[in-house]
Amino acid sequence: MSFSIEKGEMVLIVGSSGSGKSTLLNMIGLLDRPTEGSILIDGVDTTTLNDGAVSTFRNRKLGFIFQFSNLLTDLSVLENILLPLQISGEPHTEDDARKLLSAVGLDSQASKRANKISGGQAQRVAIARGLINKPSIVLADEPTGNLDSVTSAKIVQLIKSMAKKLNQTFIIVTHDRRHFGDVDKIITIKDGQAFEGEQMEVPA
Amino acid sequence: MEYRLRLAKKMLFNKKGSLIGAILAVTIGILVIHVNFVIFQGLYDAIVRDIGDYTTGDVLITDEADYIQRSDLSLIHWLERIPYVEAAAPRLSAQGELDVMTNGRLIEETRVPVVGVDPLRDIQASTVYKTVSDGRYVFSRNSIVLGFALVADLGGVRVGDSVKLTIVDRWGQDQTKWFTVSGLARSPGGQGFDYSAVIHIDTLRDLLKRNGNSDSIMVKLNDPTKAEEVRDFFLRSFPNDDFVAETVEEASEAQLSGFRSGIALINLIGYFGMMSSAFAIVTIQMMLVNGKTREIGVMRSIGARRKDILIIFIFQGMIIGAIGAGVGTATGLGYTFYAKETKMSFNGSLALEVTYNWEKISQTALLSFILAIAASLYPSFRATRLLPVEAMRTV
Repeated sequence: MSFSIEKGEMVLIVGSSGSGKSTLLNMIGLLDRPTEGSILIDGVDTTTLNDGAVSTFRNRKLGFIFQFSNLLTDLSVLENILLPLQISGEPHTEDDARKLLSAVGLDSQASKRANKISGGQAQRVAIARGLINKPSIVLADEPTGNLDSVTSAKIVQLIKSMAKKLNQTFIIVTHDRRHFGDVDKIITIKDGQAFEGEQMEVPA
Repeated sequence: MEYRLRLAKKMLFNKKGSLIGAILAVTIGILVIHVNFVIFQGLYDAIVRDIGDYTTGDVLITDEADYIQRSDLSLIHWLERIPYVEAAAPRLSAQGELDVMTNGRLIEETRVPVVGVDPLRDIQASTVYKTVSDGRYVFSRNSIVLGFALVADLGGVRVGDSVKLTIVDRWGQDQTKWFTVSGLARSPGGQGFDYSAVIHIDTLRDLLKRNGNSDSIMVKLNDPTKAEEVRDFFLRSFPNDDFVAETVEEASEAQLSGFRSGIALINLIGYFGMMSSAFAIVTIQMMLVNGKTREIGVMRSIGARRKDILIIFIFQGMIIGAIGAGVGTATGLGYTFYAKETKMSFNGSLALEVTYNWEKISQTALLSFILAIAASLYPSFRATRLLPVEAMRTV
């Protein structure tokens, strides 16, 4: 499969269960390697990077939002958001993290331990953590998959507003695109092939 | 604080069971070493102490020939002019036969070690007189002190009884003398005169026909650490004599060498104990890594390098090592303090000579700290090999 995504686009990857949406996202996120072909991000062929460079690339260029927020339960909410900055080793302050926390509406929860907040709150923290390093691309794997419909709608709204505000590329895997309304591009995965748009047309 | 250290600390302290288990493993390893040291080194030092106190002093002077020909008084006066010397006393030894009438029955005991002492000087250079638990020490030319083991062999002699001592003099003639038992001696651990008879040195000289002779001079120092200095000074001062001067350790080498090997073996066993505590840490840290698989995957996915994961878990090993070494050393010192203050002994034997060996204490703490870090290397390495995607699938 072959496709390209422009900077600042919000892209949905859809498809049925087991179609390979998450695998594709993991490959874009450098969490998995393709057996063949290449993935270019900002002009860099990421399949040629070694492990250390992959880690640095993930830290600097990519932000992740997982289905199960995947916060570190030993850390506080604020510490979770700060973690990518600390891993980068760049000088930083808590200000950016607190601003993001405020943006996701959780400024009062900063010092709470990550396992002491609700699932919806945890997902909002995960969004803040995914954005803290100002990544080129934010990858979200079923970000609402573990939430009820009301909370899901709020999370989608939050993601869309953040994407608009930050002008970052968002690639979102979802099994239900209706939550997201209008987006810049939809890529459908079916039978190992990628098609642009929702209409699953089999090429001649 | 360094984020990896903070993360290591939080991960560890939120798993209190594992943390306590790992610290206990280190603590027990250190405690084994401390207990071994207190008991076995304490026993060794107690034996050295008692040999010094009862038999050799801090420096023992003998002659390559059987007897010191020079006047003991002149030597003692010479020695007592050395500032480090507190006192010196001559001793003379022989073997004899003791006869006693007990309940109308004659009991003979042959090959009895007989020690001749100068009562006035001996109580200054030796504490053996303190082992006389019944009666008093040798005080006159015809008084005799008998050791408890000897008393038992003689059928239960009491203070005030008369005993006959027969000794073969230097010319091969039997010399006999009656003595009055003035005291009975029993020392904890049996390092004193428990198996001997003690009489006045001049009486023994008379019996042996060796007027003016002694076979050793025990020298007590006010600073035992100067023993080698005094020994060397003495030998330099009498270059033309055949004197032998030895520290207490040298004089009792034959008696102590086997014991030292035993201590080395016990210490080795202690260090093996410490090694097994390292295996316990490996197991506990593997459990910690397994319990944090998902978190490791998350950290890797947000950019943590393998090195960062390695450092986090090595930091955990360092935390376990530092706390374990601290708690273990504190516990060990507590035990040492208790043993020292209570003058610990076993079954009424000699009281352990307990010392704080700060060099060994520091070495043990440092070794356990290093072992804890070494034990964390393999689990840390395993943590770095986890693949982010697979790790994050772990529930």
